[in-house]
Amino acid sequence: MASEAVAARGYGWRLWALVPLLILVGAVSLLASSGDSLFDLLGRNPPPADEFDVRRVEFKPGEIKIRVTNPQRQDLTIALVTVDDAIVPFSVDGDRTLGRLRSATIIVEHDWVEDEPIAVGVTSSSGIQTTEEIAAAVETPGPSGKRFLGFALIGFLVGILPVALGLAWLPSLRQVSPEWLAAFMALTAGLLTFLGLEALSEALDLQAALPGGLGGTGLVLVGFATTYLALSLLGRWLGRGATVSGLALATLVAIGIGLHNLGEGLAIGTSFALGELALGTFFVIGFMVHNITEGLGIATPIADRERVSFGRLAVLALIAGAPTIPGAWIGGFVTNDLLGVLFFAGAAGAAFEVVTEVGRYVRERAPGGLASPYVVGGFLAGIAVMYVTGLLI
Amino acid sequence: MAKFSRKQLLAGTLPVVAAAPLAKLAWPSAARGGEPLAIHEGHEHPLIGHAAMIGDEVPAPGGPHALDALLIPPPALPHKPGRLREYNLTAVDRTIQVAQNVEFNAWTYNGTVPGPVIRATEDDLLRVKLVNGGSHPHTIHFHGIHPGNMDGVFEPVPPGSEFTYEFPARPYGMHLYHCHATPLKKHIHKGLYGAFIIDPPKPRKPARELVMVMNGYDTDGDGENNFYTVNGIAFYYAKYPIRVKKGELVRIYLANLTEFDLINSFHLHGDFFRYYPTGSSDHFEYTDTVMLCQGERGIIEIEFANTGRFMFHAHQSEFAELGWMGFFEVQ
Repeated sequence: MASEAVAARGYGWRLWALVPLLILVGAVSLLASSGDSLFDLLGRNPPPADEFDVRRVEFKPGEIKIRVTNPQRQDLTIALVTVDDAIVPFSVDGDRTLGRLRSATIIVEHDWVEDEPIAVGVTSSSGIQTTEEIAAAVETPGPSGKRFLGFALIGFLVGILPVALGLAWLPSLRQVSPEWLAAFMALTAGLLTFLGLEALSEALDLQAALPGGLGGTGLVLVGFATTYLALSLLGRWLGRGATVSGLALATLVAIGIGLHNLGEGLAIGTSFALGELALGTFFVIGFMVHNITEGLGIATPIADRERVSFGRLAVLALIAGAPTIPGAWIGGFVTNDLLGVLFFAGAAGAAFEVVTEVGRYVRERAPGGLASPYVVGGFLAGIAVMYVTGLLI
Repeated sequence: MAKFSRKQLLAGTLPVVAAAPLAKLAWPSAARGGEPLAIHEGHEHPLIGHAAMIGDEVPAPGGPHALDALLIPPPALPHKPGRLREYNLTAVDRTIQVAQNVEFNAWTYNGTVPGPVIRATEDDLLRVKLVNGGSHPHTIHFHGIHPGNMDGVFEPVPPGSEFTYEFPARPYGMHLYHCHATPLKKHIHKGLYGAFIIDPPKPRKPARELVMVMNGYDTDGDGENNFYTVNGIAFYYAKYPIRVKKGELVRIYLANLTEFDLINSFHLHGDFFRYYPTGSSDHFEYTDTVMLCQGERGIIEIEFANTGRFMFHAHQSEFAELGWMGFFEVQ
């Protein structure tokens, strides 16, 4: 009898939980059926901005492709298209009137001039012109095996290779005193803090450029929190509840750096595909020097005492460096700013989680804990190294 | 403090040392020598250009006779001093199509931009009634010779009221009228203007007569025109060429009411014309291009020497490609 009463009370409680929802549904339908009469009390709404969101402009021989999205609640109609302030004939791959967040590709037959600045404009039926200025018109390459390989090679050069080289510091690191090792650990934390902040700022910049309905700092938080918490759980699992071991920590560092490199590859691929980036030798060298320190960061936690097989080291280098390659592919061939926001936010979350783990490790194992001058100096040196090598890119 | 041994130091620099030759991988192969002069292959050039901007391909709204009332002036009447000529103009706010699929919230006289053509013979008594059906005070300011209280400056007509302008039409020539309420720039670029023809006492030679009012539209409110037209619709005469006969006298009453831009111009292909500035004397220039400031106007007279299709447009390329371009079809 008593348990039945509890059960009945339990069900009642669940039913009661539905009541606010039912009332909400009622209120919403009442408001919806009243039309705009409530808002008429407040005055007229301003007219819609009627501006398009120009997502991507591609140049093909004798042709320009403009991808546009309607970022506003009201419908938006593509009325006319201009190139360099001249009205041009065009076609649209679908309906000219776009609903909210709908996209369309405008195709303009146009004899554009290579390497010269060009401005494409899309005019709405209310006469509002959205203009996108391109610094230099360059033919947008299509996907090909050669390009696929090219991006892979770039990814290898700026991702895997420098990380592997950095790991080659391991024998030297094994010889240094515990104080200096703590300094290098702190250096790793400094590097990761720098990378995390960089990724976070990139994610926030990208989300700000997204159409209103898709963007928002919430999207950044989703990416950030997901990887941060996932890595926390992974760390707990690897360390079996206690503070993680050296190898586990190195793995976490490698994952954090790997996620960062995924974003880095994405940025390289996207910028190149959109003609915003001149991929050159200097650029690649800059990234190599910048990323060699990442290998150092992975090597430091395992310099403590454990012996680590060559195979494991290779796996760590791949975890940290290889994501650059798929990143470059995605960026170069897909280009999706939404994905970009999530990737960079995820990289930031991972970096900060690993910084937390490294901090915990240093606090427990390093002589003098977190307050030692070696640790403070190492952390600041890590940030400084990243800043200085970043100037090369 | 622990010291690095020499060996450790060397081992420590290993990755950096290794990076140098590897970086060479990324270095471009030796620079190429001077390339010989060659014809640029380029990419496939599509057949674009004016050919694509004729007939049905032209993005211009309106039917084949939509602008007839603005293009073809009312007939000239013989000289008869004191004859009454009455016109009624109503200012109305109206959304008009200024280019293909593009609407503009205009202020108009009688619903069109430009407003109706007003025509009189010198010494006629002009009586123009303005009814303000719009949402702002308006006036009509005529160019010409008239009393100060008929100038359309000091007597703004509030919405819902009216005012009658009355004065003798003079001097003869091609003139114009426009709203002179403040802010002036707003009232003009919104569309309150039109052509005003005063015929001379001695009639001009019979001709095929046309009116062309050059204007622009700033549809996105940034203080720059997005479209340029003659008689109000971008590319209209590219879609519907003006048909004339070879050798016949064609007389064009031309006025510039373009706001924001300092000047506008008229250029004819394949022929020369006589241009009479303001149309107020026999003095003319023989040319194929004339330049007009805002408010400037004149009369063009031409007998086409050849048959075929001849383009006319602003010789500011930008204006031409934003709508101020059309054709004569000479038969």
